[in-house]
Amino acid sequence: MSETVRIVERREVPTDAKMIHGLPDVGLVGVIAVSQIISQLKMVEVAYVDSDLLPPVIVLHEGLPHSPIRIFSNDNLLALISEIAIPASSLQPLMRAIVNWMDEKGVETAISLGGIATPNRQNIESPKVYGVGSNELSLKILREKGISVMERGFLVGPQALILQYCAEKNIAAISLLAQAFYNYPDPEAAAAVIDTLNQIVKVPVNVSDLLEKGEEVRLRMRDIMRRTQSELVRMRKSQEYDIPHYYVA
Amino acid sequence: MRPIMRRRRSIFDIMREYMEEFERAAEEALSAFEQPSWDLETQSLQPLFNISVTAEEVVITADLPYADPKTLKIESVDEDLIEITAKMRVKLRFEDLGVSHREGEFSSFHCRVPLPVPVDASRAKASFKRGILEVRLPRRRGYKIKVE
Repeated sequence: MSETVRIVERREVPTDAKMIHGLPDVGLVGVIAVSQIISQLKMVEVAYVDSDLLPPVIVLHEGLPHSPIRIFSNDNLLALISEIAIPASSLQPLMRAIVNWMDEKGVETAISLGGIATPNRQNIESPKVYGVGSNELSLKILREKGISVMERGFLVGPQALILQYCAEKNIAAISLLAQAFYNYPDPEAAAAVIDTLNQIVKVPVNVSDLLEKGEEVRLRMRDIMRRTQSELVRMRKSQEYDIPHYYVA
Repeated sequence: MRPIMRRRRSIFDIMREYMEEFERAAEEALSAFEQPSWDLETQSLQPLFNISVTAEEVVITADLPYADPKTLKIESVDEDLIEITAKMRVKLRFEDLGVSHREGEFSSFHCRVPLPVPVDASRAKASFKRGILEVRLPRRRGYKIKVE
């Protein structure tokens, strides 16, 4: 594990679990989706991330301090969530430490939930969800479930790094990316990504509740979205719009 | 009398000026992070907004959850600044947002958006769909450069 990042376990962590990730990115899709899953499944905190690479922030819950990046568990499901925008310059060591920890814990499948910025999102009623895999097994899972695979293009940010580091370790990792607003919280995209996640891992979560509370979610997520926006600029997120150059197999 | 020769700005001068203006606007937007996104005096919240510039127009969008569309106002403050205001359909207290150590409530949205390039505001169009305001302002045209 990286020296600058520690993952501190507070309770016993299940082995051979499936792990979902909700990290701040376009439309905060992953954060909204994973926060809904943690809350509805009443998952409990089992570990947290401690690192000098993070800003000096704690999050207060019921009067007690917590790390802004935590891992929750319920039976055989783990969920990682960040309550703050992660500095773009810290993403690599943080994601590498998280993937190393997943490897130690024998995580069976890692699924990152997120968004793919879509310029005409306002005119899309039902956001489409695309999948990306870290190895042949992940691609097989996506194809068997009828999830559209993103065949070519660029991915930038936490999901991209998790896929890359998981590929190095041959961990089956999947990114599920819903069409989303670039810089507005998108609860509809989060609901779409939960629906697709359900095809791979059964998470008994009611997305209609998320859709009904859409306006409240958008309002509550304003400040983290604002801070995430500046990190998206720093990580050159707009490169995802680029058309790939010559084909390199 | 000799005619006064005025140096014509090259396309590179225009691009440089545009980039400098854009960077200034970006810095102003970033410095806003150090201010709260709410104002107790006016009971208003600052919405998330975005500015994009195409060859033809400046497109401003703002995320306005709970906004009452009938109360939306888009006004010019200055040549390069527009103001967006809207009343909310509900009043929200800090407590409603889970914050118990602050007091106050909010009933509107307010923001001022810097325009990075000159626009023709008289031909502007606005729409409000699914809680998102979109304002399209055609860019004001300068001069044409003849290709020899």
